[in-house]
Amino acid sequence: MQLTHLNSRGEARMVDVADKQETRREAVASGRIVMQPETLAQLSEGSLPKGDVLATARIAGIQAAKRTHELIPLCHSLALSKVAIEFDVDPAESCVHVTASCRLNGRTGVEMEALTAVSVACLTLYDMCKAVDKTMRIDAVQLDSKRGGQRGEYQREPTPEVAAPIVTGQGAAGEVSLGGRCQSPCVLVKFLAELREQLGENERVVTFDELQSRDIAGLKAALAAQDERFQLLRDQRTLCAINQVMANDEALITNDDEVAFFPPVTGG
Amino acid sequence: MDITIRVQAEPFDMAFGYEASIAGRTDIGGVVSFTGLVRDFNETPDVTGLTLEHYPGMTEATLQRIAEQAGQRWALNAVTIIHRVGHMRPGDAIVRVLVASAHRREAFEACDFIMDWLKTQAPFWKKEHGRHGDYWVKERRSDIEDAARW
Repeated sequence: MQLTHLNSRGEARMVDVADKQETRREAVASGRIVMQPETLAQLSEGSLPKGDVLATARIAGIQAAKRTHELIPLCHSLALSKVAIEFDVDPAESCVHVTASCRLNGRTGVEMEALTAVSVACLTLYDMCKAVDKTMRIDAVQLDSKRGGQRGEYQREPTPEVAAPIVTGQGAAGEVSLGGRCQSPCVLVKFLAELREQLGENERVVTFDELQSRDIAGLKAALAAQDERFQLLRDQRTLCAINQVMANDEALITNDDEVAFFPPVTGG
Repeated sequence: MDITIRVQAEPFDMAFGYEASIAGRTDIGGVVSFTGLVRDFNETPDVTGLTLEHYPGMTEATLQRIAEQAGQRWALNAVTIIHRVGHMRPGDAIVRVLVASAHRREAFEACDFIMDWLKTQAPFWKKEHGRHGDYWVKERRSDIEDAARW
């Protein structure tokens, strides 16, 4: 694929579009600005010091689309037939999603106009809210789709939702992972749920050489000797299972056991 | 007694387990079911969703054991327990328990018992998502007291 904005010597050039067929061109771009929940609430209520934030950002985005050729050096100046800016206030992710769509009948694509509109609308949102929130972040500015022109349609594949972290273990349901963990006798120790987050660790292998006594109390002591963090395991509320069966401090452990520590359960 | 246990990330059908519990039998006098849903208020007033973590293997084994315990305490024909894991939104069903028995009292009590033990023994952990961040749900004293009744 050749970059059309470079000539054969690699120098910048504006593409000559005089001989290109006029077609209907459309492009949709999106982005978002992430902010503090309090800022988002004020924005929705219209109680920010600079007034109606979304209306101002919408006008800014439309103006910017029309002036893209002044900002991006090799862009043509286009007579856009339509620029639309949509805002979606998202309390769940504490952000405003911005979508811009541009259209014209012409010889060049309008994706730069749509991307510029999104960028400037986001910048305007930042400017309108910055008095109350300095932590705002603009991200995920991207082309979602474009139609028309020689290269045809483009549609961004939806990014798959990140799978929720369900378990620490990689084993399939109904299986206890056993065997072949290390050369000398050892146990696999797993940390689940909030305990995993507090410790910052999924699992670790403890060899029998490190154990003073081959029971859960001995395992807790060995872990605490490795790292201060594991004092957490001595919390009375921390539960323990050996090979997926509940166990107490006196329960004995044998080679290749799977030992899990976890907080009180909260299902149902 | 028939026991059916399911732990899955996908939403489940409300009809699940009912037909299977009574199919081909005429000795069942009643089916009691309980459905647990995600509330939009819990430890904070604005829960936007929750993520349920579990311990595969131990989860299924624990639910099986609870169902067997119910079968030993009451005369039951069928027990079905289905529990979701992963991400859920307010209004989604988390858990459903169906108990089929010759008599309603036994079905009601067994269903109550299964939920009490499930909440205090099965290795599930809820992380709630709110407008002001995420937090792990704490165990409740009332749940422990409820489970101690049996």
